[in-house]
Amino acid sequence: MRLRVALKILARFATVLVIVTFAITVLVRLLPGDPISILFPFATEEDRIRYRGELGLNDNLVIYYLNWLGSFITGDFGSYYSSTGDGSGVPVSDMLGVALPRTMLLMGYVIVTSLVFAIPLGLYLAYRAETRVDRWISNALFALASLPNFAVGLGLAFLLGVQLNWLPVLGYVPIADGLGEHIKSMTMPTLSLSLGLIATFSRLLRVDTIATLKEDFVTMASSKGLSNAWILWRHVFRPSSSTVMTSAALNMAALIGGAVIIESVFALNGFGMLLTVSIATRQYLAIQSLIALVAIAYMVFNLIVDLLYAVVDPRVASHRGT
Amino acid sequence: MALSRRAPVGLVLSSAWLGICLISAIFGDFFPIPEWNAYDYENVGVPLFSPGHLLGTDFDGTDILAGIVHGARTSLGIAVTAVVVGSLIGGALGVVAAYRRGWVDSVITMYFNVALSIPTLVLTLVMVAIFSSPNLDDPSAGMPRELVIVISLTLVIIPILGRIARSSALTWTGRDFVLVAESIGMTRRSILWTHIVPNVLPSMMSVGFLAAGVVIVVEGGLAILGAGTDPGASWGSMLAKNRQDLSILPSTTIIPVIAIALTVMALNYFGDYVRLRIDDRESRI
Repeated sequence: MRLRVALKILARFATVLVIVTFAITVLVRLLPGDPISILFPFATEEDRIRYRGELGLNDNLVIYYLNWLGSFITGDFGSYYSSTGDGSGVPVSDMLGVALPRTMLLMGYVIVTSLVFAIPLGLYLAYRAETRVDRWISNALFALASLPNFAVGLGLAFLLGVQLNWLPVLGYVPIADGLGEHIKSMTMPTLSLSLGLIATFSRLLRVDTIATLKEDFVTMASSKGLSNAWILWRHVFRPSSSTVMTSAALNMAALIGGAVIIESVFALNGFGMLLTVSIATRQYLAIQSLIALVAIAYMVFNLIVDLLYAVVDPRVASHRGT
Repeated sequence: MALSRRAPVGLVLSSAWLGICLISAIFGDFFPIPEWNAYDYENVGVPLFSPGHLLGTDFDGTDILAGIVHGARTSLGIAVTAVVVGSLIGGALGVVAAYRRGWVDSVITMYFNVALSIPTLVLTLVMVAIFSSPNLDDPSAGMPRELVIVISLTLVIIPILGRIARSSALTWTGRDFVLVAESIGMTRRSILWTHIVPNVLPSMMSVGFLAAGVVIVVEGGLAILGAGTDPGASWGSMLAKNRQDLSILPSTTIIPVIAIALTVMALNYFGDYVRLRIDDRESRI
C-alpha cells in the first residue's frame, strides 16, 4: 500500500517534470532568429556549423529534448557560453556551485527568521484575540503582508543603507570573509523577504490557534492549573501549526521568485541572478536546466507539505482519509 | 461582527485610492501636468514640491507626478486586462473540469499543476525574454513589450483562478439544489449557467482582486530585472529606471514604490473584504 502511494507520487512528479521541461524546450526553440548569431556573434562559418552540432540545433525537437533530458538526469546541466571566449563554454554546474549556496543561505535565513518571529507573535495574538492590541497588530500585519518584497527591499535600502548608513546596500560577503560582514550583507535581503512572511505566517497561526483554543483539551489543561505559556507551547502550538507549515513550505518555493528580484536589488549574484542573466543572454541549455531545477525544487517542497500534514497533526491524516 | 468593524475605514481608504488611480488612468490626459515622457531640461532632478513639478523630476527631467498618473494607466491596464481575460479562460476551464469530471478534469488539473509548478516571475521572465525583441540585431522585431507582458501574466492568472473556480464549482455541484435541478430534468448546460456559475463568481472575484495585486507586483519585478515596459511607462519601470539614484534623489524611486504598495494593499483589502462577505453569505444559505 505504502509502495503504491509512493510510486503514484513519483509518477506524478515525473510527468509534471517532463511536461514542464518539454514546454520550456518548445518555448526556447521557438525563438525566432539564429541562436548561434546571438551566442557567438563573431563566429566564422565553420565555427557556426560546429556550434550548431554541439548545441544539438540540427536535431528535431524530440531528439534535442531527449538528449537534454539524458544529460540533465546525469548531472550535466549544459554549458554557459560567452561571446568573447573561445566558445567552449563554462559548465552551468560550476556556476551553480557559486550561485546556489548564496541563494540557499538566503532562503534558509528567511525561513528561520520569519518562523522565529511569526510563531510567538501568532500565538500571542491568538491568546489576546479581539483585544485592542490584537486589532492594531493584526491590521498592521495585513498591510505588511501585502507589501511587495521589492518595495520592502528598496525602502530598507533607503532607510538603513542610505539615510542611517548602517548596512551596505550592495554586494555579497561570504562567511569565509568574516561572519560579521556576512551577516551585514545578508541582513537587508533577508529582512526584505521575511517581513511579508512574518505577517503571513503569524496571521495564519493566529486564526488556527484561536480555533484550537476552543477545544476541550485546552479547557482540560487549563483546569489542571497549567500555566498559559505552557499550554500555548506544549498543547496548542502543534495542532495549530499545520497551515503555517504548509504555507512555509509553499513559500519556500515561491521564495525562489522573490529571491530573483531581491538578489538583483542587492546585487547578491545568486541563483536568481544566474537565471536572469542566462535569460538575458539566451543561454538555451542553461535556461532549460535552471528552470527544470526550479520546478523540481517547487515540487519537492509541495511533496514535503503533504508529508508534513500527516506528521504535524496526525488527526489531519485520518480526517482527510489518506 | 469583525466585518462591520473592519469595513468602514479600510474600505473607504482602499476605495478612495483605487478611485484616484482609476480617474488618473482614464482622465490623466486632461490633468494640468506635463507629458509623462517630456524632458524638462531646465529642471533636472529637482526635489519634491518644486514649482511646476509637485513631486519633482528625475535625472532625465521627466515629471514624477505625470509619470505616476500615466503609470496608473499602464499598470492598472495590464492588471485589469490580465485578470479579466485570465479569469474568463481559467474560470471556464475550472468550471468545466469540476462539472464534467473524468478525463477532462484530469487533463485540465494536470495543466493547472504544471503551470503552477513554475514560479510566476520565472515564467513571465522567460516569456518576455523569448517573445519580445528576440533578435539582438533588430530590437524592433517581435511583439510589443506591453502585449507580451499582458499575455504572459494572463497565462499566470489562468491556473490560479482556474483552480479556485474548480474547487468552488466542486463544492456547489454537490449541493442539494443541483441534485434537485438534475432530477427535474434540467439540462446540464442550464444547470451550469443558472446554478453553478453564479455561485462560483463571487469567490473568483475575491481572488481576482488578489490576482490583480499579484500582477502589479510581478510587473514591478519584471521591470527591476530589465524585462518591463518602456522606461518610465509604468510604476515598475519608473522605479527600475530611477533605482540607481536612490541615494541622491530618493523621491524618484520611493514615490513609485509607494504607489505600487498602496495599490496592492487596497486590492488585497478588497479581496479580503469580498471573501468575508462571501463567507458571511454562505453561512446564511
